[in-house]
Amino acid sequence: MFPKPERIILYILLSFFMFISVLPLWTCIMTSLKTMKDVIYTMPVQPPPSPTLEPMREAFDIMKRPLLNSFAFTLFATIFSCILGSINGYILTKIRFRGSEIVFLLLAIGIFIPYQTVLIPLVMTMSSLGLYNRIEGLILTHTAYGIPICTLLFRNFYEDIPDSLIRAAKTDGAGTWTIYRRIILPLSSPMFAVAGVFQFTSIWNDFLFGLVLARGTEALPASVALANLKGTTTAFWNVQMAGAWWYALPVVIIYLILGKYLIRGYMAGAVKG
Amino acid sequence: MRFIKDKINTLLVFLPSLILVGYFVYASIGWNAIVSLSDWKGLRPSYNIVGLSQYAYLSHDPVFWTSLENNLLLISLFVPGSLFLGLFLAILLDAKVRAENTFRTIYLLPFALSFVITAALWAWMYNPSIGVINTLFEKIGLGFLKSGWTTDSSIAMYSVILALIWQFSGYTMLVFLAGIRSIPESQIMAARVDGASSLNLYKRIVIPQLKFSALAAFVVLMVFALKAFDFIFILTGGGPGYSTYVLPLMMYRETFSMTHFAYGAAIATLLFVIVMMVVVPYLYMSSRRGKE
Amino acid sequence: MGETVSVTIKNLAKKYGETVAVENLNLEIKEGEFFILLGPSGCGKSTTLLCLAGLLKPDSGEIWLGDELVTSVERDVYVPPQGRGVAMMFQDYALYPHMTVFKNIAFPLEVGGKSRQDVETRVKATAELLGISPLLDRKPKQLSGGQRQRVALGRAIVREPKLFLLDEPLANLDAKLRVYMRAELKKLHQKLGTTTMYVTHDQVEAMSIGDRIAVQKDGVLQQVGRPEEVYDSPRNMFVAGFIGSPAMNMLEGTLVKKDENIGIDLGISMFELPNWAKEAVREAERSEVVLGIRPEHIAITKKYQKNAVEAKVSFLELIGRELHVHLTAGEKTLIAIAKPTQRLDVGQQVWLTFDEKKIHIFDKKTEEALI
Repeated sequence: MFPKPERIILYILLSFFMFISVLPLWTCIMTSLKTMKDVIYTMPVQPPPSPTLEPMREAFDIMKRPLLNSFAFTLFATIFSCILGSINGYILTKIRFRGSEIVFLLLAIGIFIPYQTVLIPLVMTMSSLGLYNRIEGLILTHTAYGIPICTLLFRNFYEDIPDSLIRAAKTDGAGTWTIYRRIILPLSSPMFAVAGVFQFTSIWNDFLFGLVLARGTEALPASVALANLKGTTTAFWNVQMAGAWWYALPVVIIYLILGKYLIRGYMAGAVKG
Repeated sequence: MRFIKDKINTLLVFLPSLILVGYFVYASIGWNAIVSLSDWKGLRPSYNIVGLSQYAYLSHDPVFWTSLENNLLLISLFVPGSLFLGLFLAILLDAKVRAENTFRTIYLLPFALSFVITAALWAWMYNPSIGVINTLFEKIGLGFLKSGWTTDSSIAMYSVILALIWQFSGYTMLVFLAGIRSIPESQIMAARVDGASSLNLYKRIVIPQLKFSALAAFVVLMVFALKAFDFIFILTGGGPGYSTYVLPLMMYRETFSMTHFAYGAAIATLLFVIVMMVVVPYLYMSSRRGKE
Repeated sequence: MGETVSVTIKNLAKKYGETVAVENLNLEIKEGEFFILLGPSGCGKSTTLLCLAGLLKPDSGEIWLGDELVTSVERDVYVPPQGRGVAMMFQDYALYPHMTVFKNIAFPLEVGGKSRQDVETRVKATAELLGISPLLDRKPKQLSGGQRQRVALGRAIVREPKLFLLDEPLANLDAKLRVYMRAELKKLHQKLGTTTMYVTHDQVEAMSIGDRIAVQKDGVLQQVGRPEEVYDSPRNMFVAGFIGSPAMNMLEGTLVKKDENIGIDLGISMFELPNWAKEAVREAERSEVVLGIRPEHIAITKKYQKNAVEAKVSFLELIGRELHVHLTAGEKTLIAIAKPTQRLDVGQQVWLTFDEKKIHIFDKKTEEALI
């Protein structure tokens, strides 16, 4: 049976938008595999007539250390902010105290603040702590600014855990943190996945903090390194695109494999930037 | 006894977060505000309070007004553009499409990427001589559509906005799709039995019920339109000239390139106030709604 | 009052993956009939309704509304819901939450392109008919369950459709309201005369308002007939046990033939069959049978009577004007209905006689009625 005309138009539209979504990524990959000559003389959408891994190698050389840096601080900051977020979420939902709503609101506002507003104090703080241009500085920064969103995610999640569970444990004699360890924590693994994936991509993708706090070569994050790559006149388009590819790789992998957790994070009101 | 130990433990584990957020968010905001009232210029901090002179200076600065204008342009074009495109995609995908997951995954991918990456991608795409857009236009005979894109100051900001809509449509699509799917199937069936065409169905039943989804996405987009820095910094650096300057970018340049710390702090404080004017009512409203 | 149609369903079948929802359904519903589709949850009733409405395409089969073929898998015919002139009411009422009651009811008319004037008149008339005129400006969330139900009803009838489909419309109401609405629905039907197909799992409901009932189990039609028919002459054990509350007592036994007499050995006693039953049973292939007798057809006596079954009272339930007596006879349990005035005690030894005209005998293996 031949499909109805509306369905055909539907699929045409969907494919058109798919084409648009993919176009930049496609040209990126194609360009990163071309020689300089090919970049100039072939259409960006065309596959490389004489493919080469040279741009990839070059880009990797430049980005090797920054990528490592990014991994380091992203990993630690993710772990710290998730743990703190879980603890905070627990405290705010299961250990009611006067003003817990207000405290939560205050924490939540931290999600929306424009980071420009705290940039100057941040720089001053980091340099006086001797953490300027250091990975530890980035870890501290990203942990601190990751706490609001992680707290939000866990708090919403824990709200759905019935209070009766906690009450039952309390009558059995369990203390607050025993309950946390033995009941809450085991139930939290899906949320750790959501918060973890969300934080990882947010921190990995960050540029502003890296730019302001770690321009120097030791702690240079991959994001800033890529920006530098783009800014220079010596690295040609193929190397730039290769660099973008290297930087994008972890996030793309996470998105394809753990995408559903990322989506849950977005839907919970968490947005990057 | 154990009761007290419990409370102490609780305080102990809560404290780090409170201290970190209290310091890095609230204390910092206050500190920044104070700096904005000073005359700090150059690399040595100076805390001479000079009242609101930085702000007064701001109001006479043409770069400030251009930046503000561009932010408003972002708000008026980027926000509705992303919302409509996302809504459109969500409606398309709601039609029980085969391979829906594939389409969704691809539409959402740009949103997951860093702005550094997407800026680099679009810089390459927008390249006037060998970038994909111009060469593609040429190839399919639409050569008259070629343009300088980000190198042309009259349309640079629009080029930026277009790229951002590309990046955010996946997100708005996600939000709207969830909203559409939360409408009980029985309503859709009732509408069809009552004789509604697809057009009527969406226009009168589905879309009116997407108010809350639209609002959530709207706030997120609005805040971004005010905060956007990474993308524009890397794609155009604010140029050509000042045609793509936005407030966050201006703040950065003033503070870190020109060491006008107090001035930058003033811009940052202003930015904060504007963002809060959008966020606080929304948070208040949604916490009220959550309670009812 | 608009025109109404008869419904013909031929060989309808629908599977969801491996689960069969409807299997080879054949039904004829007469014009103006209040027809009930009865069965336990998940037996394919809703699926049938959705196919009739055009919201679902079956795997095979054909559906006619009057003379018009609206669905045919074999002939590749499919009229969409919009074009069938059918109205449907859903279990959750499916009211549009962002519209007022007036707009909800007006929706089908507005979508059908009726003039403003026309819409207003008809909506007001419908609201009047259903007694919801004062509610026209409210939104669904401000209404009670019963009110919402009437709005849903209003939306369905305002179009003067040819066929009404109701999917367990009373399921979400509390018991008292349900009884009230049952009567209201029947009165409405009498007034409008539209062919109605009503789906429910509540057999009391079905029995009280249906013109005819179709009993369905696991997608397969068990029996179709008027309420009296289905009650007095169930065709198989499922129908017998499903209709009537408390349920029919089922006693397993073996047919025993001795000269001219045929009886059922119930283990605890021998039950001799009355003459009229003997003929039907004489030709029976198997001897493993089940004797069915409804609680109201059992008489409890304190003295032995001919053909009575000895039993002990295990439990008493006083339900207003009836006394439900739970009894054990050997390993079997029975329920009988007695008058509240009858003096009975738990543990008491009694004798049960069955109304000979009201017994049912089923083949144990096939579960079909032999008489």
